[in-house]
Amino acid sequence: MDRLSALLVGVVMGALLQRVRASDPGVIARNLRLEDLSIIKFMATAIAVGAVIVSLAGLVLPLHLDIKPAYLVGVLGGGLVFGVGFALGGFCPGTCVVGLAEGRRDAPWALVGGIAGALVFTLLYELVVAPLLPLLNVGKVTLADLVHLPAPLVAGAMAVVILAVVARLPTVRGQRRSS
Amino acid sequence: MNVLPKSVLPAEVPRAGAAIPEWARLGALFGLLSAASILLWGPIGVSSTYPRLVGAALRWLAPGWAGANPYLVKMGELAKPESFLVLGLLIGGFAASRFSRQPAPSPAAIHPGETSRMLRYRDAFLGGFLIIFGARLAGGCTSGHIISGITQLSLSGMVFAAGVFATGILTARMLQRGGR
Repeated sequence: MDRLSALLVGVVMGALLQRVRASDPGVIARNLRLEDLSIIKFMATAIAVGAVIVSLAGLVLPLHLDIKPAYLVGVLGGGLVFGVGFALGGFCPGTCVVGLAEGRRDAPWALVGGIAGALVFTLLYELVVAPLLPLLNVGKVTLADLVHLPAPLVAGAMAVVILAVVARLPTVRGQRRSS
Repeated sequence: MNVLPKSVLPAEVPRAGAAIPEWARLGALFGLLSAASILLWGPIGVSSTYPRLVGAALRWLAPGWAGANPYLVKMGELAKPESFLVLGLLIGGFAASRFSRQPAPSPAAIHPGETSRMLRYRDAFLGGFLIIFGARLAGGCTSGHIISGITQLSLSGMVFAAGVFATGILTARMLQRGGR
């Protein structure tokens, strides 16, 4: 049942990423150069909407939450490495799969690169990575835990801030209002 | 040597009465989807499938070694819901591109330095390597840490996103300036 749900979520997610052009590496590069903010605004909107629904649903329904631990050295270090690759290739782990499905000729190279990255990571894990992971580990912490407020309140405030910012930012550089 | 065209946005087709911009409409749908996923089976995430795929191949090629590798043991078998999500991405991406009848996109230079098709493929390969290495170091990627993580208000997702956009923006600007 979980597998079928995940498959269906993947189908819709693949279609959304394709429609918003997140699978186009040129669009990703322009977003990271801040010339076009369409994907950044798409992601921020998804987070705002998702956070409000999840925090409210959590009050009445059992959820399959999975908070990842914040081992700060690995999480920040990994993010910094990811950012370089994201800008260089213009793909993320999901969009290169969508790009392959669309028939982009550069997408399979990103996928093969990703498999090579996973292999090298696996080979280095025990010796290099595992000792780094316990450094500055603050655990499975949420913003609600940090400010000692109920999750729906924090999610609502975050959503208001995010939506107010993305509504005011232009989507394409030089354009005054978002459209 | 093939000279690559510079990547350009396809012309926007203005839709009559489209008051809601596309990023907002699709973004809200993506938010609904990620929330639905947490309700149904768990948060969306993609990057863990890469080492599981490597693990499946190594268990076949070198079962003894793979069975003793702590990371492959930790990540587990390929038959996880996340692997089915990745399969779904292939189906959804294919269907959406076919239904919209867009021509098969040919590779375009995303930085001025990508003056040939080989250089675009090289950057895609190196970029793919770094995103998966970085995501596995952090324990998640754009979907697992940024979308699902921050949706659950997790600190780790916010720290990861800060790292990604710090070097992502810096690298994209350096490639734009240094590549000519």
